[in-house]
Amino acid sequence: MSLGTSKIVPLEELAARVADGSSLALGGSFLHRGPFALVRELIRQGRKDLEVIKQSPGYDIDILCRAGALSRARAGIVAMEGNFGLAPWYRRAVETGRIRLEEHACASLTAGLRAAAFGVPFMPCGGIHGSDLPALNGWKTVEDPYGGGETVYVIPRITPDFAVIQANEVSEEGDVRVYGTSHWDRIMTRSAKRVLVVAERVASSASFRDQPELTLVPHFLVEAVSIVPNGAWPGSCWPHYEVDYLAVEAYMEDAAGVLRAHLDAAPEAREAAHV
Amino acid sequence: MSEWSGFSYIVTNLARFVRPNEITFSGVNSALPMLACLLAKRAYPFAFTYINVAGGVDPSPSKVPISSSDPVLAEGSRSIFANEDFYDLCTRGQMDLCFLGAAQVDGLGRTNVSCIGDWHAPKVRLPGGGGGAVMLPTARRAVTWRTEHSRRTLVETLDFVTASGGMHGVVTPIAVFTKRDGRLVLASWHPAASLDEVRARTGFAFEADGAEPTTAPIPAEAEALAALDPDGQFERDAAIRLR
Repeated sequence: MSLGTSKIVPLEELAARVADGSSLALGGSFLHRGPFALVRELIRQGRKDLEVIKQSPGYDIDILCRAGALSRARAGIVAMEGNFGLAPWYRRAVETGRIRLEEHACASLTAGLRAAAFGVPFMPCGGIHGSDLPALNGWKTVEDPYGGGETVYVIPRITPDFAVIQANEVSEEGDVRVYGTSHWDRIMTRSAKRVLVVAERVASSASFRDQPELTLVPHFLVEAVSIVPNGAWPGSCWPHYEVDYLAVEAYMEDAAGVLRAHLDAAPEAREAAHV
Repeated sequence: MSEWSGFSYIVTNLARFVRPNEITFSGVNSALPMLACLLAKRAYPFAFTYINVAGGVDPSPSKVPISSSDPVLAEGSRSIFANEDFYDLCTRGQMDLCFLGAAQVDGLGRTNVSCIGDWHAPKVRLPGGGGGAVMLPTARRAVTWRTEHSRRTLVETLDFVTASGGMHGVVTPIAVFTKRDGRLVLASWHPAASLDEVRARTGFAFEADGAEPTTAPIPAEAEALAALDPDGQFERDAAIRLR
């Protein structure tokens, strides 16, 4: 039985759904399985004033800063990783005040997303005691109301406008399958108002019915999907491909024209230009 | 004459914190702890559970990746133990040992990974909180490493307290510190350095009762590291100098 409606749209149309000023929970971690084709398409379309919400962004937050598309970030740890170190355009954007950072521990960001996913205004989070982060962010504590004696930090709800996930496979109807670790993708798709997906390829609806336990996000949570082979480039998408370190190295060069050349070399651009 | 390089010193001494039958974790941006965990698996005649940020549980990676969060680190894993899982494991008190990065460490073993200078007008914006603020106070033991041993990395006063709770161990190219009564104390020093040199290059005061030169790598440790980095690529990339 078909559900009758395909959720597959071109990448340009997927990106067009994201208005200026939107907050985006981006899936993956550092250089691994991030929805990078969509991030680049937002830049091509000239999007402004975006917010990234992600425990461990890197290339994605850096290129958005480089393009001037970002004004805010809620993040745990930001780096290019590999041997590339700090994310240079992100770093400069924070140091010069061009973006406003809300610094999190990865788990405090997750707690905020959990609050949204669970339908409650805040969520306890372990640890944090003794850190300067709560004073910075105005986080409050509660005493165990059941008399256990523990004092716990509570993190306010974080509701992203969008979760954008890079998947291995989707059905026409928008069911999402991810191989390997799901990072924080699951909680992102449960906390965001809308869920967009970029996938390597389409798999049959029957294959999803055969192994439903492999489905990370069911179709009814998903608004739209684009199929972009190699869309996580220059990052990895296990088990299809690994990090393209030469491409990351080329991206890191601080010179005129590098960003343009990088965007033009991306798989989705080459596909569009039939290179 | 020392059998240590700065690289082998850090990786091997991180591995020496791994204990039998425990759960040990390595995370993002952590190539040296990743190598330490893989070294411990090869070199030591005891079982422990190695989990990592790629979701791997006692994986058998087909190669050692440049990125310590590479999905290769979940190859051969019998389970994907993803990010939310290992954080929750830690906060409920079941993470025995985790390796956490730091830019600055103080004498209490607290860390700064946030900024150099004022947080609101930083001279350098660093990667940020990451696991630290939640894992350092809740893990049974946490260990960090610095590839530079200096008064700007081992400091009396942190520019920002990203994570409190106190490191159980700190490894640098010339020294191994462990925690005693809530403060870092020197456990051993690189045989090519000296106690005086460690003191001169450390920004916080520390006790050194019982400290001595670090024992040389045992053959199993040296062989394991050679097998993990056969062409010396990781050692070259890490570019660790004693001075």
